[in-house]
This record gives sequence, structure tokens and C-alpha cells, in this order.
Amino acid sequence: MSSVSLKVENVSKAYAGHQALNDVSISVDPGSVYGLLGPNGAGKTSLIRIINQITAPDSGHVYIDNQPLSHEHTQIIGYLPEERGLYKKMKIGEQMIYLARLKGMTSALAHSKLKGWFEKFEIQPWWEKKVEELSKGMAQKIQFISTVLHEPKLLILDEPFSGFDPVNAQLIRNEILELKRKGTTIILSTHNMTSVEEICEKIALINKSKKVLEGSVSEIRAMHKSDLYSIVFTGNLLAFTNALWANFELVNSISEGQKHICTVRLLRGNNLNRLLEATLPHAEIVSVQEIIPSMNDIFVQTVSSNTPAI
Amino acid sequence: MTFLAPVLFAGLMAAAIWVSTSDTDKHHVLVVDYAAIITAYDSTLNKHYCRIPGKFQSTETITYDFRTSRPDDQDFIDGPYTLMVEFDEGISENLAGHLIYKKLPSIQVAQSITRELESTLEMIKVTEELEMDYEKYKRLRMPISLVQKDIQNQDEASTKQEQAGVGMVFSIIIFFFIFLYSAQVMRGVIEEKTNRILEIIVSSVKPFELMMGKIIGIGLVGLTQFFMWIGLSFVIMLIGQVVFESGALNSATVQGMNTGVPEGMMQPDFYAALAQNEVFNVILRINWPLMIGLFLFYFIGGYMLYGALFAAIGAAVDNETDTQQFMTPVMLPLFFSYFVAIMSVQNPEGQASTIFSLVPFTAPPVMMVRIAMGFDSGTIWQLILSIVLLIGAIVATTWFAGKVYRVGILMYGKKPSYKELWKWVFYKG
Repeated sequence: MSSVSLKVENVSKAYAGHQALNDVSISVDPGSVYGLLGPNGAGKTSLIRIINQITAPDSGHVYIDNQPLSHEHTQIIGYLPEERGLYKKMKIGEQMIYLARLKGMTSALAHSKLKGWFEKFEIQPWWEKKVEELSKGMAQKIQFISTVLHEPKLLILDEPFSGFDPVNAQLIRNEILELKRKGTTIILSTHNMTSVEEICEKIALINKSKKVLEGSVSEIRAMHKSDLYSIVFTGNLLAFTNALWANFELVNSISEGQKHICTVRLLRGNNLNRLLEATLPHAEIVSVQEIIPSMNDIFVQTVSSNTPAI
Repeated sequence: MTFLAPVLFAGLMAAAIWVSTSDTDKHHVLVVDYAAIITAYDSTLNKHYCRIPGKFQSTETITYDFRTSRPDDQDFIDGPYTLMVEFDEGISENLAGHLIYKKLPSIQVAQSITRELESTLEMIKVTEELEMDYEKYKRLRMPISLVQKDIQNQDEASTKQEQAGVGMVFSIIIFFFIFLYSAQVMRGVIEEKTNRILEIIVSSVKPFELMMGKIIGIGLVGLTQFFMWIGLSFVIMLIGQVVFESGALNSATVQGMNTGVPEGMMQPDFYAALAQNEVFNVILRINWPLMIGLFLFYFIGGYMLYGALFAAIGAAVDNETDTQQFMTPVMLPLFFSYFVAIMSVQNPEGQASTIFSLVPFTAPPVMMVRIAMGFDSGTIWQLILSIVLLIGAIVATTWFAGKVYRVGILMYGKKPSYKELWKWVFYKG
């Protein structure tokens, strides 16, 4: 499958006096997994709806593979909305084929692909059941399949893991990675920061209708480093602390008898080597690790500090 | 439900008829004629009887006994009589008597007894006071029938009035159809909204397409159901006719019904009337190809008009309880048109009938009455205008509904006011 790129340029959207999106631009590389993060009400869903052509922007443009958004694009997009729902009284097999046909797939092809999915997830006996007979987890799985059945080139998943137990969440995560391997461009909108760190290559953080962060995950984490290290050692805490002197700051420490876990900040341009040189004579080092802020921390930090847009 | 409904309906009709025929109370009436106006005494039988032959005849369901004095109240209560009629010589002047009952009689029974007394007294007056031959007297009454004729068409007796009545049947059908199925559209829209599948569907198709699909789809279901009902009702009616003619309606029951049913409402007469030429003429006079064709047009047109509005209502709210505030103004013209249609039967060429057959929201039921009557060269333009206006209204309403639908289906949690809805029309896509 040839992968498609997505480019959102200066999109703004207002609803009845409330500004949902304010000059937002993002760029998604072909075949990558892109995380769309932000607190509730930030504007993520509005942006997703615009990409899906459910609503249109007040200003700005959206390009898929450098082509301006047109109705044909809906056929290559798979969308899993945050608020899930299916026709309750319709049989599952029938319904999924119907939804795939809405996306331009032929009935026969949808039928055979669907069979494949049912076998993969081992849910063949559910073909003739009605949606209302399913448990919530089952319904979520079904919904996921219906999103990807027509083999979309651009997949937009809004909170795909919510409502899944850990086993099924893992299942979905594997499917997402599998799809990425096949070349699908994936946009993941989520609060689940662990999955962001695990699967996303690039992210954008939207807050209060503006984009406040964009970049690759590693870049961003690196950007938010604050030169913190975690050192575990056995020995005398006081001696250790003295050794730090003015070049390093002891942020906090936890002690269990002779074992101490300290968080140390590098000061004055000193690096890890200097820290080790300074402390080696005074303690038996067990482990040293750089503390890189998690996406969760960065999210909370950025959002609560109301950082202005980049 | 499609198959069940006509069967249930026929069943209900049969049950109703059965109940009315088997439920006639038996009455034993005591007529207390203080002044012996209508009563005579038979010394051999040692009892009183009605001296006018043919009146107050006892039947299976009602018996009459006569006296010139009234029993004690307790005797009456304990006795076999269910009703007591009493009057004295003043009845000719004040035209009043009493009907004393143990258990309230049905209106039909009371009326039947009253009529019996009326006609008996009348006969006495005519034959004894006026000394006239009763048959001659009956001929005094001259029920005149004025045959209606259109100046444009004086050769034929006009059956326009009756034709209008037939049109009314179609009006009723249209009214119910629109009422039932437009509401269905609304419910369908709300269902899609509440189970959230809307967002996925709208990511593949345009909201307008979805709305039209819903309206047309439900309309087709309605049409199918409708034709099935017609077919099944026909079959059941045919079966019913056979059953009735074969003896379920025997003479005793008919007589029982006769005493219990007021004049003009006797069911067996309906079949008799059908056999009469007059009604046949009416049926021949109606331009059936035009009638059926236009019936379908107004049927579908009226449904599309109201269906679009109902789709908009469904999109604007989150659940069925919120629909009330919007449904009332939408349903008002529909109900109103039903009443105008009834009025049009009484006054088919009146102004109200003309005006409201042109207004798109009231046209379908009202037009049915007018089409049954037929149009001449002078008024055919009204039919054409009505059709054009209806089509125009459908286009406008669908456009308007589409705008409201587009915004409404994604809006949750708000209960919009009319002003808000109006703003939605102008939201960009």
C-alpha cells in the first residue's frame, strides 16, 4: 500500500461564539503513527471531524497526499470515534459489510475480508448475532474491525483503548502496529500516555484550541529534560551529599537502611561523568539512570502552565 | 405487524358487531296508562292490552304489559318488570310522561319506546280526533328530494356531494399515513443519534444524503405496508361478507338490532344501499385514474413534506421527550387540514375548501375531497397550482430540514430554541 501524508494548514473553526480551533497546523508523515494529544475540550475532536469532512473549517486547508480534501478521501479514511455506537438491532456481519460498502468496498470483498477478521479474532460464532447481544468489550472489538475493514490508508482513532481490558488493549495495540507495518498512516488521539510513548513517532499537543507542542516523542522528551538523574547506592548518605557540593543538587532521597535512592540534578554545566567522579569514592553505586520526563508529565506540565503556542 | 394489523382490525370489527348483537338487554315494560288513552281491557283474558293494532308488539327482547293503575314502588322493584312507562290524559297537552327504571336502559331502548308511544298517540289523534284515514295522513308528509344539477351539465343528476364523501375516505387514509410515518422518520433519526452511529455514517456520506435516505426508505416501507393492508383487508372483507350472509346475521338478531338501533343506523341496510344504483352512479362518476394517480402524488408528497420536518425535529433533540415542543406546531396544520377536509365534504365548492387545497401543508387531505368531485375547465388551474405549490414546498422544506439536520445530528446536550434552529440554517457546512 502506498502511504499517504496528511497536512493541516492554519485551520480555524468556531461554533456559536466558542472558538474550537485557532490557527492549528499539523503535519503527518506517510506511514507514521501520529499522536494527537490534549485535554478534553481542547479541540481534538473538532479537528478530527474536519479531517473526516463531517464539518468544514472556517478557514485553513487540509491536504491528503498534497491533494486538497475532497469527498473521495472519505473512502480511504477509517474513523473510530470516541463515542462508539452501532445499530443495535442489526446483525453484526450484515452491519459491518454495510459500513464497508458505505466506504466504497464491494459487498463480496467486504464479506471475505470480514471472515478473515472474524477468524483472526476468533469470533466467528458472532456473525449472526445482533449488536445488542454483545458485551461492551466485544462491541468495541467489532467497532474496531468495522473501522479497518475497508483497508483505509489513513486511520483516525479517537481514544481507541478506552473501555478495553488490558488483554484486549494489547490486542488492539498489536493490530495498530501491524497496520502501521503495512503502511497505514495512523492518527491516534488519546489520553493514554503509555501507548503514546510506545507507538507514536510524532505528537501534537492541542490546548484551548491552539497547538502548543509538536515534534517527535524523543525530541519532546529530550526538550523537557531537566538534567535529573536517579542514583541508587549503598553507603553513607551524608558523605554522598557532601560530595555533591555545589556542582549537583540533591532534589530528594529515599532511604532503606543502607540503601539510598537519590534524585540529583546536574548544575553548572556538569555532566554525568562528573557526577560519578564526585560520588564514586564515597558510595557504592548500584545504578544510575537519567530521569526523562514521561509524556504524561510533559502533558500535565504543559497544559497546566498554559504555555503560549509555539 | 404488517400482516397482523388487518387481521387484528377485522377481528376487532367482528368482536364489536358480536358484542352489539349479543348484548341487547331483555326488557319487560309496564305501560301505565292512567287515562286509558291507548289501553283497553279484555275481560275474557282479564288483562289490559294496547287497543291500537300493530303497536307495542312484544318481541324476544322486549315485552309490553298494560295497566291503568300503577303498582307500589316496592312491588315494582320486586316484580319482573324492568321499565315502567306512565302517562295520563295531560299527555296530549304537555307531551310528557315518565320512564321509570330499575336499571338505566340503553338510549336505543328508551328511544324505541318513545317512538312507539309517539306513533301510537299520533295514530289515535289522526283516526279518532281528526277522523282521517291513516294512510291518507301518511301521504301528507311529502319527503321532497331536490336533485342537484350543475348548470354546466344539466343532463345528469349531480352526485358531487356523494363523490366528496368518497374523497373523504382517501383524505383519512392520507392523514393517518402522514401522521404515522413522519413520526417514524423522527424516531429513526433520534435512534441513530442516541446510539452514536451517526458520526461514523456521516464520515462516509453527506448528512443530506442520510436524511433523504431515511425519509425515502421509511416512505417505501410505509407504502409497502399500506398496499399489503389494502390487499389483506380486501381478502378479509370478502371472507367476512360470506360469513355474514351465511347466517351469522339471522332474522332474530336483525330484529333484536332493530329495536335496539335508532333509525338510519341499521347495518344490514348498508349492504342494501350498496346494491342501489345511486351509490353505483357515484362510483362511476369519479375519475378513477386521476383519483388514484393524484392520491399517490399527494400521499407521497404530503409524507415527504412532513417527513422532512420531522427529520429536522429528530436531529434537533437528544431524545423523544424533548420532541414535544416541536411536534405541536408541526402537527397543527395536519390536524387542521383534516377538519377542513370534513368541512369540504359539507361545502365542497366553498372558499375554505379552495384555499386550503392550495396551501401545501393542508393540501393533501383537502384535495382528495375536491379531486373526487372532479374539476372542470374553469377550476383545473387550481389543481395544477396546488401540485406546483406542493412540489415547491417540498423542495423548500427539505432544504431547510437538511440544514437543521446537518447541524443537529452532531449537537448533544443542548435543547435548542426556535431562534437557535433558525441560526443553524445559516451555519457553514
